[in-house]
Amino acid sequence: MKPVDLTTQLGGITLRNPIITSSGTYGFGEEYLAYCPLEALGGITLKGITPLPRLGNPVPRLAETPAGLLNAVGLENPGLEEFLKSYLPKLSKIPTAVIANISGFSLDDYACMARALKKGSGITALEVNISCPNVKHGGMHFGTDPKSAQEVMAAVKAETDLPIIAKLSPNVTDIVEMARAVQRGGADVLSLINTLLGMSIDLNSQRPVLANTFGGLSGPAIRPVAVRMVWQVAEAVDLPIIGMGGITSWQDAVEFLLAGATAVSIGTGNFYNPQAPLDVVEGIRNYCEQRGYSSVQELVGLAHRG
Amino acid sequence: MLSQGLVVSHEQLGNTDQKLRRLVLQGPAAQTAQAGQFVTVQVQDSARASFDPLLRRPISIAEISPERDEITLLYRIKGRGTEILAQARCGDSLSIMGPLGNGFSLPEEGELWLVAGGIGIFPLFALAQRALSQGLKVRLFWGGECKSFMESAGLASWKELEIKTSLSTLDGSLGEKGLVTEPLHSALTQIKPADSKPEANEVRVSVAACGPKGMMQSVTELCQRFDVPIEVSLEERMGCAVGACLGCVCTLKDKAGRLIHKKVCLDGPIFRGEEVVWNETC
Ligand SMILES: Cc1cc2nc3c(=O)[nH]c(=O)nc-3n(C[C@H](O)[C@H](O)[C@H](O)COP(=O)(O)OP(=O)(O)OC[C@H]3O[C@@H](n4cnc5c(N)ncnc54)[C@H](O)[C@@H]3O)c2cc1C
Ligand SMILES: Cc1cc2nc3c(=O)[nH]c(=O)nc-3n(C[C@H](O)[C@H](O)[C@H](O)COP(=O)(O)O)c2cc1C
Ligand code: FES
Repeated sequence: MKPVDLTTQLGGITLRNPIITSSGTYGFGEEYLAYCPLEALGGITLKGITPLPRLGNPVPRLAETPAGLLNAVGLENPGLEEFLKSYLPKLSKIPTAVIANISGFSLDDYACMARALKKGSGITALEVNISCPNVKHGGMHFGTDPKSAQEVMAAVKAETDLPIIAKLSPNVTDIVEMARAVQRGGADVLSLINTLLGMSIDLNSQRPVLANTFGGLSGPAIRPVAVRMVWQVAEAVDLPIIGMGGITSWQDAVEFLLAGATAVSIGTGNFYNPQAPLDVVEGIRNYCEQRGYSSVQELVGLAHRG
Repeated sequence: MLSQGLVVSHEQLGNTDQKLRRLVLQGPAAQTAQAGQFVTVQVQDSARASFDPLLRRPISIAEISPERDEITLLYRIKGRGTEILAQARCGDSLSIMGPLGNGFSLPEEGELWLVAGGIGIFPLFALAQRALSQGLKVRLFWGGECKSFMESAGLASWKELEIKTSLSTLDGSLGEKGLVTEPLHSALTQIKPADSKPEANEVRVSVAACGPKGMMQSVTELCQRFDVPIEVSLEERMGCAVGACLGCVCTLKDKAGRLIHKKVCLDGPIFRGEEVVWNETC
């Protein structure tokens, strides 16, 4: 029998397999080396960077909830300049696709980062995190307003020749409207979902657990929401989707593929099992073999048929 | 390293109301473990995967026995995770990550003074054993709530080490009544009287401290006053435990006096006392 073809086409790039690791959970690619060889992955997504360095929020930044994790890291990162100087040179040696993740608080922020990250820099694609407040528009999140989201993507598109991935926020009423907006802005690929806004209160101190009060919920608890959004967007928008939210096992990953994701990404699942990405690759391979698929891409969107 | 730790012994330590446990795990983690490092243990209700609790629990390595492939973890049952961990039985296998973190450094010569508050004593045992095996002189300052706690938390094992020990309890039921900083202060005064100049025969002391934050801050201030090097072991809530998520940062002051963040899981948990910014977070 011919081995299953796991290669995955995503907005003009070819991945070895459809398994990626998620922004903010996988550092800058070195942290998990003792657990998971990067050449086994389809790609990794780097921690979100901003034009200027950020110290992020005070601790506690994490709160555990049933089958979930709330985080309020506050986009701590070394800033663009330091990223270009100290991190980027090492990235070209990474034996898998490297997706940079950019965040900003104005259109200029996004544009200046896109300008610095081009083909040949060691970066394979640019993921644009639009779940940030637009400080010029009263703090309204780019990711919750279709017009702002479209503008951000257009600003990025104008400055870079890399494929651009729009990372959508689930904290909206109509995810399809947001997906259409970023498509109009020029997005090549969609990533969904980012974390769901939540909070948790300590019964002893009678205060919020997180220093920041609110945090983003991730992990298995959010998976049904993510699968639903991937399904809805896959029905309505003709762009490849990277599905994520609560994946810990190959079964979870297959569920996203069936819902219409072309690739999947693992975030919080790495904390639970640092070898989860390896297990998922193997599990998907076996599933395809047992069911007689010659390519993993045959699974994409299967649940929509009939 | 991700490995399976086989539970070879799991027992209550001392009095029931102290909720302390001693867990001995057999596995490859023992081969490279250093005093001050920790592991994260997956706590699960049963052999079947469960996501509640989702996160692994960080626990310091209290004893290292490479010849038997064993590490010992000492812990207090605090919440849901440690309650579930306490159900693990001999013969069970636990998924552990580690050894993680940097570990204490050992002075090349002189005396190592260990300063512990409460269950902060746990990681210091491995350090004491290591220091003694390298021929260093070790001294212990340990403060706790009461006699029952101290006896439950391993006082007898410390006595077997036959090192000079100063105990203090809040209620005075064992040792001196009061805080651990008091006997430490007197001892520092003895080796470095305020009016003396540094002498050639002065005892070279380094301090390693673990306990509540406030206690480590006071101990650090004391050590700085007497110009004695000190290392402290910090705790923070952890997500990845490998430096990837930035969940566990602590605030330090760099050489230029700027406030910076370091990851407790990767850059720590052991830091030089004087670089830690105790009260502010940024
Ligand atoms: C590096 C390090 C070493 C440690 N070594 C020991 C040890 O040797 N013995 C011991 O008894 N305890 C130790 N702790 C504390 C221990 O990790 C917590 O008591 C334990 O995680 C509590 O889990 P729980 O589910 O019982 O409590 P819960 O309160 O239900 O936990 C809820 C969440 O908060 C986290 N959390 C709670 N308390 C702490 C804490 N003090 N530090 C960090 N995270 C916390 C938990 O991991 C969990 O994610 C250590 C912590 C760290 C960071
Ligand atoms: C600690 C942490 C930090 C994160 N940081 C970022 C970030 O910087 N940029 C971003 O686009 N998403 C970030 N995310 C969101 C994840 O990339 C992912 O979209 C989300 O966690 C859902 O997937 P999961 O359930 O597999 O973790 C972060 C998530 C976590 C848990
Ligand atoms: S726990 Fe993730 S960086 Fe320390």
